[in-house]
Amino acid sequence: MKKNKNKVREGNPAITVLLYILAGLTAFIALYPMYYVLILSLSEPQYAASMKVYVWPKGFNLAAYQLLLKDTKIWRAYANTFLYVVCNTVLVVTTCTLVAYGLSNKNLLGRKYLTMFLLIPMYFSGGMIPRFLLILKMGLYDSTLSQIIPAAFSIWDIILIRSFFRTIPDSLVDAARIDGAGVIQVLTNVFLPLGKPIFAVVAVYTIVGTWNSWFSAMIYLPHTEWQPLQLFLRRVLVTSSQTLSQVMDPEAAREAALRALSNAQLQYAMIIFTSLPVLATYPFFQRYFVKGMVLGSLKE
Amino acid sequence: MLRRKKIGNGEKEVKNQIKRKHYGRGIIKENIQIYALMLPTLILIFTFCYLPMYGVVIAFQDYVPGSSFLGSGVKWVGLKWFKQFVGGYYFRRLLKNTITLSLMELVFGFTAPILFALLLDQIRHVRFKKAVQTISYMPHFISMVVVAGMVISFVDVNGMLTNFLTFLGLPRQNWRVNSAAFPWVYTFTNVWKGFGFGSILYCSVISAIDPGLYEAAKLDGANRWQQAWHITLPGIKPVIAIKLITTVGHILSVNSDFILLYYLPATYDVADVIGTYTYRLGILEGQYSYTTAAGIFTSIIAFTLTYLANKVSNRLADVGLW
Repeated sequence: MKKNKNKVREGNPAITVLLYILAGLTAFIALYPMYYVLILSLSEPQYAASMKVYVWPKGFNLAAYQLLLKDTKIWRAYANTFLYVVCNTVLVVTTCTLVAYGLSNKNLLGRKYLTMFLLIPMYFSGGMIPRFLLILKMGLYDSTLSQIIPAAFSIWDIILIRSFFRTIPDSLVDAARIDGAGVIQVLTNVFLPLGKPIFAVVAVYTIVGTWNSWFSAMIYLPHTEWQPLQLFLRRVLVTSSQTLSQVMDPEAAREAALRALSNAQLQYAMIIFTSLPVLATYPFFQRYFVKGMVLGSLKE
Repeated sequence: MLRRKKIGNGEKEVKNQIKRKHYGRGIIKENIQIYALMLPTLILIFTFCYLPMYGVVIAFQDYVPGSSFLGSGVKWVGLKWFKQFVGGYYFRRLLKNTITLSLMELVFGFTAPILFALLLDQIRHVRFKKAVQTISYMPHFISMVVVAGMVISFVDVNGMLTNFLTFLGLPRQNWRVNSAAFPWVYTFTNVWKGFGFGSILYCSVISAIDPGLYEAAKLDGANRWQQAWHITLPGIKPVIAIKLITTVGHILSVNSDFILLYYLPATYDVADVIGTYTYRLGILEGQYSYTTAAGIFTSIIAFTLTYLANKVSNRLADVGLW
């Protein structure tokens, strides 16, 4: 079929070349900013300070990274993010699977009301302030739980898992029931093993979403100690009133000054250091994202 | 999804009857078990989605932090906060900024993924296409904080982008404090972050178009552009329509994530939008009732716009959300 398509769609070769160049250029624009950040962070400090490193790293110097590895605050922020990622992923997959499983049970009573209960929040919400007041009233404000409990479910993921469960043949469930399996056994013996692909999709979405989230921590978690990595980055990259020496621990800051590392080089090293886990892995799990997008859109 | 169930209703009834014979009273017991499994999640949804909806009543009161939403001490003020917001000094500015940024987002951010998908469709070399696609997703995976940090650094006086713009003949400056540049920085950043990922859906729809259509068009002498115009575009038209309806509905809720990180008081005149304003006055200054009213105002406009867009789309393109 592919060959066939090739033959059908041939056109003016000059324009074909032009289109290839255009596609290449688009990819370049998508990639270059990150590449620039990478090569500058690896350059010798004196070149990096001038910011004029465009094609290859000028010299090679890992001082900025060595410094980051010694900074205790960044590791703390890393650990916090890791905690939130693990908790949220486990919780989201569990809570969403349980509701999706319930919805896929044929004997469920009140399905219509339950579906409405799930759909209404997708169109209406109370907004930022009532939510904030709720968190305050529940005593979650300035607590690590403010990053975990409100993020422990996702209606969108419930619908995603539900639509995947719908593809599991009824006959499998019926067979299990005839063998005497109850509600719990059908879940553990049929749905959990067969649902693995969709659990991976939901897990990957949650991991990346939690890793990159910052707004809820900024609002609910003013206490620096428990803030996730993204808020540490915000202090380093965005809040211009603070210099790096205030954000990092004093020892690391002194060493940075000693080695004549520029702010920009340290910032760029930090960008690479904190984005690496996601950037190095996304090509391998991008298929899960594509799958989720397509499954999710079929639902609408 | 409900409709599909209904088609096989008769069949289902029969099955249910058989089931009832088999399990009988078991159904009640089974439902208790199912609801027990669902209960924790349902409580979470109720708490974090429904309770805030009830919280919007404070938009109609003089809410004092710490007091209850309903009860004896509540001072009802009717539409006072709505009037104050709409008649307020900043209302015009907020509306103008929000709509300007949304329209730019619509013109560039909405079309970029479509154009990119059409471009990719022309690329026949499979590995090259895959590589371009994968690279184009990358910005989506970078966190907004990092993106904002990179942009701030690039548009600084000696930043990479500033160097490039100076090379093109523009005066060297810190573009972050330049009000005229803000909408373009905002739009370009959003397009850069979203065009690749946004094209996924279009690409998957394009790949599902029947190749026979292209073959037939080719036999009729259609060239590359005619094929794209008469086959590919109509093929993705329903998806475009649906996306357009949702985008129009969000016209007053522009992505304030980037703005919150990037803007400075010096650029509030062009960068302050309803979302950032709500954050500053609500979260930072504690004007809860006022900002909740602003939020409700935005939601009502959004709902009306979605409704209208859906109606127009139903009329013109025969596709809609409902």
